[in-house]
Formats: sequence, C-alpha cells, structure tokens
Amino acid sequence: MSAAAAAALAIVAAAVAEILVPGQALYHAGWFNVLLLALVAVCFISARGAYRRAQPASTRAAVLAIAAAAAIAGVAATTSGLFAPDNQTLIGAPGQRLRVESLGVLVFPLASAESAEQSVTLERPLHAAVTIGARRREAGNFILRTVSRSVVFVEARDLRGNRLTVTQPSGTAFLSPVLLMEHRQTIAGLDVPYDSFNVPAMRRVVKAILFTPAQAAMMLHGTQPGESAVLFAVDDEKERPLPHAIALSAGGRAAGAGGLSLRGSVETYPAVEVVAAPNLLATIAAALLAIGGIVASIQRPATIARTFLRTILPWETSIPLGRST
Amino acid sequence: MSRYIVWAVAAVVIVVAFFVLEPFFVSPASRPGGPEGLVGQAAPVFALRDDRGGAVSLDRYRGRIVLMNLWASWCPPCRAEMPDLQRLAITYAGTRLAIVGVNEGESPQRAREFADSLGIRFPVWIDGSQRYGRTYGALGLPTTVVLDGRGVVVRGFDGALTFAQMQSAVAPLVGSH
Repeated sequence: MSAAAAAALAIVAAAVAEILVPGQALYHAGWFNVLLLALVAVCFISARGAYRRAQPASTRAAVLAIAAAAAIAGVAATTSGLFAPDNQTLIGAPGQRLRVESLGVLVFPLASAESAEQSVTLERPLHAAVTIGARRREAGNFILRTVSRSVVFVEARDLRGNRLTVTQPSGTAFLSPVLLMEHRQTIAGLDVPYDSFNVPAMRRVVKAILFTPAQAAMMLHGTQPGESAVLFAVDDEKERPLPHAIALSAGGRAAGAGGLSLRGSVETYPAVEVVAAPNLLATIAAALLAIGGIVASIQRPATIARTFLRTILPWETSIPLGRST
Repeated sequence: MSRYIVWAVAAVVIVVAFFVLEPFFVSPASRPGGPEGLVGQAAPVFALRDDRGGAVSLDRYRGRIVLMNLWASWCPPCRAEMPDLQRLAITYAGTRLAIVGVNEGESPQRAREFADSLGIRFPVWIDGSQRYGRTYGALGLPTTVVLDGRGVVVRGFDGALTFAQMQSAVAPLVGSH
C-alpha cells in the first residue's frame, strides 16, 4: 500500500511541477515519460495487492482512489509530454484567426497605429472564449501568455501626398499595413529584424529593417536619442534597386525614397507563447484523490470526519480524535 | 458493493483520460481560408468615412442585405468588376439590397476620381487602415462579402465576380427580382 501511495504521490508531484515550472525540455524527454508510466505500473501492481488485503470497504475505496490518482496524473503528464508540441511562440497578424492544433483558434486583435490591444482571444470547441494576456493562463493541455513584440505600422503615400494601398503578398495577411518583422539579418554585426511589403499602385517592393533605439544611435545618422528607426529600401516590381531609394524613418517621421513617402511607426503587438502542461483540472482531481486516498487509508472514516471538523472548527476541542490504524 | 466502486473509479479515470486526450484527436473545425472562412460570423463594424468625408458604418444597414466589395484603384480586376456592381445596384434599386464599395488604403480623392471615371453611384467608403481587408482575410483584391440583415456574413468571395455570380449570391436573400 505504501508503495502505491508513494508512486501516486510522485506522479502527482511531477504533474504539479510541470504546471508550476512549465516549458522544461525534460518534460518532453522519452525517458521521463517512460519513468512516469513505470510509476503508474508500480502503483497499480502495489494497489492490486493492497486492495485484496484491505478489509473494510472504506480502505478498499482508498486504495482505488490512490490508483485512480496515479492513472489520471499519469495520463495528464504523459499526454502533454509525448503528444503536445514543444514550446512555441505564435505570431499572428492583426485581425488574423490562427488555428492551432490540439488547442483551438487564436484571434489576434485588430491593431491600429494609434492603439494596439495587448490581449489575444482563444476560441476552443465546447468552451467559452477566453482572453490571453501577459499573465499565464491554463487552457486544456497548455499554458498560454502573451509576449510583446515590436512591429512596424507602415504608411505609404505618393509624392502628392495621396495615401496608397500596402500589401504583403508573402505575409500572413495580404492587406495588412502591419509588418510583423519575423525575419532577421545581420548588418554590420547587428542582428536586426526585417520584413517587406508592396505598394502595387506605384509598382514598388519595399524592404523595411527595424533598428532599436540603441542600434539606431550607434549606426544611423538623423535619429534622436531613444528613437527606433526603420530603414526602407525601395525596389521596382521586379525587385531591381532604384536610385535614391533608401531612406530612414525615425520616430515615426515620413521619409522619401523611390518616388514614395514612407512612414514607419514602431509599436508593440502581442504574440502568444504556448507551453504544454498537464491538464490543470485533471491534475487537481488527481491530487485530491491521492491525498484523500492516503488520508483515508491511514485513518478510519469516523476519524477523518472528526479531523475535518476540527480543522474547520479549531475551537471545538470536545471532538475527540480517533486513533490511527 | 466493492465491485461497483471499482467500476465507478474506472469510469471516472476513463472520462478524465478522454477529457485530457480529446483535444489531441479532435481538432477545431477547419474553416476555409480567405473571406469564405468568415461565413456565419458577425461582420466587424468600423467607423469609416465615405469619399465625401461623411461618417459611415455598417450599423446603419441593419435589416438590409449588404454586398461589400473591397477594392483599390490600382487593381485591374476591381476596375473590370465595377460596372457589374453598378449594374447590380441599378437592378436591385428600391429593394433591401445595399451595395457598398470599400476602398482599401487609398486617399478619398483617388477613390472618388476612380469611382467617377466609371460612373459608380453606390456608396464608396474609405478604409485607410485596411481594417476590413485584414479582418475579412482578403487574399487579394477584389474581395466581396455578403451580409444578411443581422450583419452576419453569409457569403465570401475572393476575386472578381461576374454579374450572374453577384445575382446568384444576393437573389436568395433579397428575393427574386
């Protein structure tokens, strides 16, 4: 019986640890999950013998509760460890509905250059929609939270000041003026993000490279301290470089290049960090079953009731505690 | 008695295991990409301006069937489609059908010049931040979305439509005409 209880507690503790300290590579390791399944097997074998020996029905129920706790926590932990994907950061375009296997649909907020919501909505089958923010949130077999990323809102105008449509044929959202800056390149030893967009009315392809304030101060002229900067390089529609087609937009100010007036405003926009973790409700259920089973196996039911009453009514000392078996 | 307890505990374990494992085997309903994927959802409502500077919103069209066409002046298929949209507007004039052209990302002046050059008389809205293009998941231009009287998307089309396609999309909602 004690072996069963110890194994069950170890499995529940592992599941709880995976929830409290999520995202460790260990949880996806094969040997770790095999170890959990071995503990489940040890618990079952030990519980089988204990169940046969147990005499009062209540003790048998306690043994079953411990075995059930091991099974539930084992399933929850090994499911997230073996089936769930590794940690990932999901980047979506404003307004995009991103379908995530085994989870649901993430709805990214519609941001404008003036204000960007920092929360993402998760829609799941058979569940109410939940808002994912900077604080971690458990959802099924995952823990989610948003992290802020720098994105660039671009605005393109012709030289008469007429606004022009911005498209991203190779981006996640075709008609979006928000560059997600998912690509990276090295310039003069600096690792910088970049993205590209088209201005079809002018038959232009524009590459935008983002510099942090520190990088901009170090590398670029014409920036004020603390200002991010976006370097635009304008090509024609066949991606041939044009003369006078490189310009710097710092602090959200417009810059002329390749027959365009371009403005890049650096804003933050949420991405979603997704980490696999055992199902929270299943783990709580397993923990309660394990604790309840262990307590019940070492105390008679009447004693449990008295212990419970004395726990919630500490001033009531007239309730005698029974002896442990 | 104890046998019943065993079965009850086994049942609980199975139910919990199903509850934990189910998401890995039952994926969220797959939706088609692009504007068709929005069918059944309420269309977002944004406060926009029309090409004359007046405030406009989809809210004003509740109770009417709305055909929203996203377009831009630089887009050849949009130009080719516009006369058929104007013909549809004339054909269904006086009915519950409202046709709205939403210019994506251009200046009001450019949109107005383009509409005037083609004799467009239906409302032209200016979506400077391309918000409808983003939320409708436009894969290109033109993009057309049909909304029912409650503002719910009932049809979504990527690319230019013929007059017959436009009619077949709106006729069941508006009634034969």
